[in-house]
Amino acid sequence: MADTGPVATGPIHLTLMMGPQLAVPVAQEIADSLLSVQVTVASGQRSGFQLAFDLAKDSLISNSLLPGGYFDPKTRVIITVTIQGTPTVLMDGVIIRQEVGISNQPGQSTLTVTGEDLTVLMDLDERAAVPYPAMSPAARVQAIIAQYAQYGITPLVVPELIPQTPMPTQRVDFQKGTDLAYINQLAQANGYAFYLDPGPVPGQSRAYWGPEVRLGEPQHALNVNMDGLSTVDQLTFAFDGTAREQPEARIQLPATRVSSILPVPEVSILRPRLAQRPAPALKKTVIGDTAKKDSGQGIAEALAKAAESADAVTGSGQLDVVRYGYPLRARELVGVRGAGITYDGRYYVKSVTHNLQRGSYTQNFTLAREGLIALEPTVVP
Amino acid sequence: MASLENPLDAVALTQASTAYPRSSRYYGLGTAQFTEADGRQVTYLRRRLLPDPASMADLTTHTVGAGDRPDLLAARYLGNAEQWWRIADANPLLDPRELTGEPGRQIRITLPSGVPGGANG
Repeated sequence: MADTGPVATGPIHLTLMMGPQLAVPVAQEIADSLLSVQVTVASGQRSGFQLAFDLAKDSLISNSLLPGGYFDPKTRVIITVTIQGTPTVLMDGVIIRQEVGISNQPGQSTLTVTGEDLTVLMDLDERAAVPYPAMSPAARVQAIIAQYAQYGITPLVVPELIPQTPMPTQRVDFQKGTDLAYINQLAQANGYAFYLDPGPVPGQSRAYWGPEVRLGEPQHALNVNMDGLSTVDQLTFAFDGTAREQPEARIQLPATRVSSILPVPEVSILRPRLAQRPAPALKKTVIGDTAKKDSGQGIAEALAKAAESADAVTGSGQLDVVRYGYPLRARELVGVRGAGITYDGRYYVKSVTHNLQRGSYTQNFTLAREGLIALEPTVVP
Repeated sequence: MASLENPLDAVALTQASTAYPRSSRYYGLGTAQFTEADGRQVTYLRRRLLPDPASMADLTTHTVGAGDRPDLLAARYLGNAEQWWRIADANPLLDPRELTGEPGRQIRITLPSGVPGGANG
């Protein structure tokens, strides 16, 4: 999706909101003592943030806010950056941990709070044996996420690729463990990803449960080794031969007791191809415990395992947002130029870490795809 | 947003849920169907309601001088000439030419609606 224009012009505003249940903008004094912000956004993983504050001896923070519980765990934090008038919610989460470093050097004492996105709230209560009779995995996920509507979380659940609605007379699925653990377990069994996407306005987020979105228009290309046109200082690529595995699942038919190997469908239904030469699968693995499952579940699990290990090529690097011109978004596609025939082309942005300080905004990112050599002759510049 | 029958269509839908870029004032607006008298289906973009100007946090105030234009103001304060509609929203005006029509007028420059003021870095 197109952005307006390079961020080389105009200010970048950071808005920090905090509060026990309802996040409100922080006081100017807290905003002034904010030293740095780091936000990590990753696909299929929990996002995290870290805020560093200046902890002066007689400041508002050390005298009343810190003892008063303003930075206590489970305090909600919303971080928004406004670039050229367009807001982007970077993080909607809760504080998990705080660290205070007191130094003899004046001005060196800091308060660091670390937190994770709102999925942490789904990971607090362990549930014992919640039955889901005759519900498909997608319906179960939808039902679980609906319990968190009070935090502004709306579900976007993609139905599973291979239908697995069990007959209540044959099998009833139960949830063990926390809500998050169960959602992640269902995502893993289907080759899906589960993450929270904060925005479009502060206080709202979208819970996405579905395959990684490897479709659509890529973001502006990352240029490397292109002299003045370079937007990235360095990009490191790795091609791991043992990353890709060929899973094998065996099922047994209850009626005849004959076991057979399930055919693993092509991974590209779950992940559209990004490279011309996909890495070969060097390893063969056997998925355990499939004999007692029905064939739908077995196929889904084998497909998930194959998709999970399909990304043999990874890349990582760092960029300056002003130089690149746009903030890079995770969980979307991006083009790479200048890396040579082998490694040019489109990639899926697996994770992005935003580093904000006064006067600087840099990003560390990791890219992934399944093989070498670009699929298309050009990428969006 | 509801789930679709075919998972692959659903994935495509998540990406193209709106045809407008993030920076557009039509971003996130849904479409609706209208059936005309002769049975033709017409897809149209839903009406955009102006946000409450009181909900926007002030960045600064600008006094209109000679030669000011909404796009020039947007380029100066927000960094992008195409964002003039945010200034029009904050002031609240439907016709952007009214913004800079008379010199001496005080114009609010604000953060986008829904983003409260606070830390600034």
